[in-house]
Amino acid sequence: MKLRYLVALAAGLAIVGAAAVMMMRPTGPRAASTIVVGLSADIATFEPANISSRDNMNIAHHIFASLFTLGADGTHVPNLARELAISDDGLAYTYTLREGLTCHDGEALTAEDVAYTFTRIANPANKFTGNAPGFVFSSIGFRSAEALDPGRVRITIARKNPIAFGLLTEISIHCKDSYEKMTLDQAATAPVGSGPYRLVSWTRGSEIVLEKTAASAAAYDRIVWRIIPEASTRAAELMAGNVDIIANVAPDQIAAINQSGVATVQSITSTRRMFVGFNQAEQFGQTPGGRAIRDPKVRRALQYAVDVPTICRQLLQIECQRATGLVNPVNAVKALSPYPFEPATAERLLDEAGWPRVAGKMRFALTLQAGRGRYLNDVNVVQAIGQYLRDAGVDVTVELLEWASVFQPLLRTRTAGPLFFMGTGGGLWSPIYDMNDLARVESGTNYTNWSDARWFSRWDALTDAATPEDMRRLVDEMLQVFYDDGPWLHLYFQPDFYGVSSRVDWQARPDERIYAYDARPKG
Amino acid sequence: MGVLVAHRLLQSVVVVLGVTLISFIALHAGGDPTYLFVSERATAEEIALVRQALGFDRPLPVQYLSFVADLARGDFGTSLSYRQPAIDIVLGAFPATIELAVFAFVIAIALAIPLGVVAALNRGTAVDGSITILGLLGQSIPNFWMGIMMILFFGLHLRWFPISGHVPFLLPLLNGDLATAFGNLPRTIYFLVMPGVAVATYSLARNTRLVRSSMLEVLGQDYVRTARAKGLAEHVVVVHHALRNAWLPVVTMIGLEFGFLLGGVVVTETVFSYPGIGRLLFNAINQRDIPLVQAGVILLAANFILLNTVVDLVYARLDPRVTLARRR
Amino acid sequence: MNTRGRDTRRLWRSLRAAKWPMLALLVLMVVAVVAAFGPWLAPFDPARQSIGSRLAEPMADVQGVTHWLGSDVLGRDVLSRLLYGARISLLVGLAAIAVGGVIGIVAGLLAGYFGGWVDDVTMRLADMQLAFPFILLAIMFLVVLGPGVGNLILVLGIGQWVTYARIVRAETLSLREKEFVEAARALGDSTGSILFRTILPNIVAPLTVIASFNVASVILTEASLSFLGLGVPPSVPTWGSMLAESRDTLLANKWWLAVFPGLAIMLTVLSFNILGDWLRDVLDPRLRDR
Repeated sequence: MKLRYLVALAAGLAIVGAAAVMMMRPTGPRAASTIVVGLSADIATFEPANISSRDNMNIAHHIFASLFTLGADGTHVPNLARELAISDDGLAYTYTLREGLTCHDGEALTAEDVAYTFTRIANPANKFTGNAPGFVFSSIGFRSAEALDPGRVRITIARKNPIAFGLLTEISIHCKDSYEKMTLDQAATAPVGSGPYRLVSWTRGSEIVLEKTAASAAAYDRIVWRIIPEASTRAAELMAGNVDIIANVAPDQIAAINQSGVATVQSITSTRRMFVGFNQAEQFGQTPGGRAIRDPKVRRALQYAVDVPTICRQLLQIECQRATGLVNPVNAVKALSPYPFEPATAERLLDEAGWPRVAGKMRFALTLQAGRGRYLNDVNVVQAIGQYLRDAGVDVTVELLEWASVFQPLLRTRTAGPLFFMGTGGGLWSPIYDMNDLARVESGTNYTNWSDARWFSRWDALTDAATPEDMRRLVDEMLQVFYDDGPWLHLYFQPDFYGVSSRVDWQARPDERIYAYDARPKG
Repeated sequence: MGVLVAHRLLQSVVVVLGVTLISFIALHAGGDPTYLFVSERATAEEIALVRQALGFDRPLPVQYLSFVADLARGDFGTSLSYRQPAIDIVLGAFPATIELAVFAFVIAIALAIPLGVVAALNRGTAVDGSITILGLLGQSIPNFWMGIMMILFFGLHLRWFPISGHVPFLLPLLNGDLATAFGNLPRTIYFLVMPGVAVATYSLARNTRLVRSSMLEVLGQDYVRTARAKGLAEHVVVVHHALRNAWLPVVTMIGLEFGFLLGGVVVTETVFSYPGIGRLLFNAINQRDIPLVQAGVILLAANFILLNTVVDLVYARLDPRVTLARRR
Repeated sequence: MNTRGRDTRRLWRSLRAAKWPMLALLVLMVVAVVAAFGPWLAPFDPARQSIGSRLAEPMADVQGVTHWLGSDVLGRDVLSRLLYGARISLLVGLAAIAVGGVIGIVAGLLAGYFGGWVDDVTMRLADMQLAFPFILLAIMFLVVLGPGVGNLILVLGIGQWVTYARIVRAETLSLREKEFVEAARALGDSTGSILFRTILPNIVAPLTVIASFNVASVILTEASLSFLGLGVPPSVPTWGSMLAESRDTLLANKWWLAVFPGLAIMLTVLSFNILGDWLRDVLDPRLRDR
């Protein structure tokens, strides 16, 4: 074959190829009535009782409705129900439903369906493992649900709980007839809900398409959720105009996105409390470092060693105010001011606590464990914290572990440590929700095995508080204890960065929920 | 022939089982995976219940043997994250990866042959030099880096190709929906270009150099000189005599080639958000979705064996000196 | 054996005559020197963070400090990390080859020499390993064993053995019946002695060729594993992990984070490939289909 022929063939192929490419390039903007959201992780199921991931719940929330919802500012908003009455003993929650509600298949939604939903979730035969049966039901101590009449349903719980009303907004309501007919397998892929959108298609690993129902007042006819795991690819798609909203924008990409002219980055401080925990469990008390952190004076000294505002500014690209405790600022104790960055004070306090530098070098050694890629820029934040502590004389070794299968089991068994970095979601609607992680010494969420009596003894009094003023007084006292001698190295509330296309008018929420039904086209 | 096929079959079963055993050991080596399947704030009792429900409380040999027993009945188990039959999920993601692998394969072979031939025929010239250099470069670039560079340059900057995503062709085809399949085909190829090139680069580079050196060796042989001396036209010499003999080493590579390409697929599928089996299995491993991983691994192993058997048969036909029983 | 000395001199002469392989060898020697003396050459502590001066451009003066090749996301000096990274990347590459080589050579020798069920079992194991993509196997083991240089070397090494085993087995098969092996057997040499002192030295040539290509491939695989989050821990610099870390800042035009480690990888891998090509042409043209 002569070279000439080959060259001619190649040229011909190139021309044909280029023409094909030209023909297939998308011409003009997408349908104005479709909004595309980019997610970083695939979802597993459309059965709400099996959902525990935030991304999955976000999508399910478009398909299913709940009795009440929580607004972005924490207000309790009626949804399927228009009224809630709580009994005096706090054990019975009676919801009055609106009239004329239906599920997507046309079935009328009444109190009977609500009761069915709750009973189904609690049924051990179904083996549901999502947030609803796991966290919500065990936190409120769910007992039973019964329909009093077609318009009213009563949920009974085991003990009085000031935050149960907020937790109950997490429950997605099913219609009885449609779900009785379906097997659990079918329920995972063919949901029937009563929310503003219905499921059109789910291509695993690729995308989920939702379509607006007739009754919905949402602005967009279709929502396409695209799975794009790689952060630079997500940002590139946003900048190319193919995607309208993306979550989890890496801080170093913010400037590039803002300069693109196609999209801007909204930064919002979320309710997630980031902290380094000092694990007080017995097993860590064997080493000098482990013993050191059992002394509140040492913990307080280390607070001064870390420059949180600089971490925020440099690694997270926001100006932040350091947390003073575990409660979101809106409900925190205003009088407490954050620990400043004073390395000299840290050194002095550590000396005074009886841990001087050995031979002018390090005082004691500690391991700082963290998962990787779970929280915003966690890999870099943890290494920076390690450096700050090393500068103060603590020989810190940073261990970055795989989140789901290595780090999380350590957290669950409360054996991560002696230092560990993590963040837990919080809320704006009550300080008690934020403090709930440390309700009991043996709580699964008491990851630091803290047992200070001044905190835990006040907990029951808190639940039984007669007036809001009493409750607030107790909260202030407890938070003071936490500030002084608590088991956390206070850090920050995690900022969330959302990339939003300039053709969309959408406001990011601080609670990590993405509700595309609130979005509308701009202009 | 029948004995040979039976022998092959037995070998294949052993290999597949071996592969599942290795995966089993690897996935359980980190300890009890129950924690990944309970909600974040589950209590100890719930965890115990789930552990029992998923069968993780049984001794490890029992777990493996019961898995093999189920397998013999055709039951690949239920995916722990999706709660659907594992084989369905794996078969749903496999066609996309096949499309990518075939596309990359075509590039890696189809482009390599003309490039290698041209280089060999023009040995020592600038043409040869540049092809060789490109070949060496192609084997020296990490493929995720190449993928990201392509996205930023061709996808974002020039807007020539889509940045991520997939338009299915094979899946509708296999489902019998020919209209959708062929209607999608142009866009399928359009979305395959960048990921396909990223996956194919290393192989293309290596194969080009392989073809080139094969051709060089063959071109120096006596029978080629004879053919030229006989006055045969150049393209006859090249195609009929030289190329046919240079084919053989390439054919030997094909079986391994596919497996090799599949190796590059995991990274490429992640960079380009391509919904194939590489990404599916990567996530499944991270989430310890053991039935899903096993189903995927079995599928890939079976695929590899099938491919190699086909290659061996083709090789036997092309080169009469080879018998099927020969081990390379 | 006298011929060894003559061979080596002949090799050296033909190397000096060939431009590109000579250049490649030079590059690799520079890399080796850097790897050996990196800690003394590096201007900064590669682990020293300074988040106040992060993402500094090369040669830019930040608070009185100049980073020649810039600084990374945590303010660590890129040049120092590159120099330390040479050591670790090369260490991982060579150690993985060693691990894979030892396993592969032993397996190949045994399989080729004894044949029979030893051969069958070895080849079945090899088939199993090839039957699914190495990267999935690597992922499985690394996810479970955890990141770390040792685990990485182990996993990468295990991925290599089949290549060596096959070559060694093929060569052993053909050498097994040769006269000098028969002679050794007749003299009563132990099997071990026959395998390692008689047969093995004759296989060194093709093995060297394979090894040089494989170092290149191991370095690239390490980069991919770092990209997937399974490589070395983030505080340990390797060229692959530096490249993988750079991707979040690519959009922001922080080119130096990707270009320098990328060039380092490319040059090193390229040199190994060129050298491997040349070695193969000189030592054993039969290996052309590798």
